Amino acid sequence: MRRAAQGIASLVKQKNITSPVVRNAAQGFVEASSAMEGSIAPFGARHASRQLLQQRMKSVGNIAKITLAMKMVAASRLRMAQNRVEQSRGFWVPMAKLLGDCPDVDVPKNLTVAITSDRGLCGGINSTVSKVTRATLNSVEAMGQAEDKVNKLVILGEKGRAQLIRDQHSIINMVAVDWTKNAAGPSFTAASMIADEIIKVEHDVARIIFNRFKSAISFLPTVATVASAEVNDKRCEMGGIMDEYEIEEEDRTPLLVDMAEFQLAAVLHNGMLENQASELGSRMSAMDSSTKNAKEMLEKLTLTYNRSRQAAITTELIEIISGASALEG
Amino acid sequence: MSSAYWRVAGMSYVKYANLCADVVRSVLKDQHVVTAKARENVYFKTTEWANGVPGASVITEIKSAATK
Repeated sequence: MRRAAQGIASLVKQKNITSPVVRNAAQGFVEASSAMEGSIAPFGARHASRQLLQQRMKSVGNIAKITLAMKMVAASRLRMAQNRVEQSRGFWVPMAKLLGDCPDVDVPKNLTVAITSDRGLCGGINSTVSKVTRATLNSVEAMGQAEDKVNKLVILGEKGRAQLIRDQHSIINMVAVDWTKNAAGPSFTAASMIADEIIKVEHDVARIIFNRFKSAISFLPTVATVASAEVNDKRCEMGGIMDEYEIEEEDRTPLLVDMAEFQLAAVLHNGMLENQASELGSRMSAMDSSTKNAKEMLEKLTLTYNRSRQAAITTELIEIISGASALEG
Repeated sequence: MSSAYWRVAGMSYVKYANLCADVVRSVLKDQHVVTAKARENVYFKTTEWANGVPGASVITEIKSAATK
């Protein structure tokens, strides 16, 4: 009886019985120590967990807003990135038509260039490129009979560096990052300067790995092969490429060197742009599903919160009523 | 015909082509030159690696003089 009376007394002290949200946990604990000694749980315990729930709801709501904003930003950038991709195709397509693309060429010095993004929260495209890079490096070692097979790796993009550094750090020659810092997309000038650095790495064939942008939901990991001038020289001699053109013997080698360098820059430029468009599309869908999940989570939390609020109100009503009936009886 | 003059000077074809592009961009008329000059701007950071250890990072930045 005394306990019930004490319960009523503490209830009367409180300002607002029907909306316990207004009270803070500290107030509840102070009242618990003063009003209800020997009770099962401190009076504030109920409110503390509801306040935690409220904090969680607020943070989940913020996450939903942020991911929605990121999706909008990625969607608006994607349109411009797609234009840039289409305009860059005019450089590498004619080179590929002329010189061909043979990823299974068997030569000693193999260079692999992995193009990834600098920023995260873009879905699985960077881990796809890392996987394909590892598979390429392994298959190069396993294939063919060329002796002294050497694998070299160049990484473009911070995410690729973070993923490939663990097991491939011994074969990395160069890492390039931050090319989207001041510009929306890599210009041909920027891609050329990076290609210049790659040309300095001695190689017989360069395999450039990136995500080709097929559509806003489809990004295909692609391996583009650029053979060096010496390899193309041998292929010219064997016939099959550049058969339609009259080239003097002594002119052919400098011509092929120029073409190999330009093909590397063109393919690299296109690869960087396609990967950027893929990154934006992937980020768009990743942020979209993140927003959806956050909203679902918020709904569930709201239901739990309302249930606990109603349970608290019901408990207080029971206390009042039982206290009142105890007084009567 | 031996190597071209720019090859003898140590340039790759890519560098030569970009220098030619710079020259072409500089002779454009006023309303086109601003958008074209923007394509000359470059920023990236490279790190040379040797034996599994990264070297010093080098930031390459080119800001062509803003016109008008």
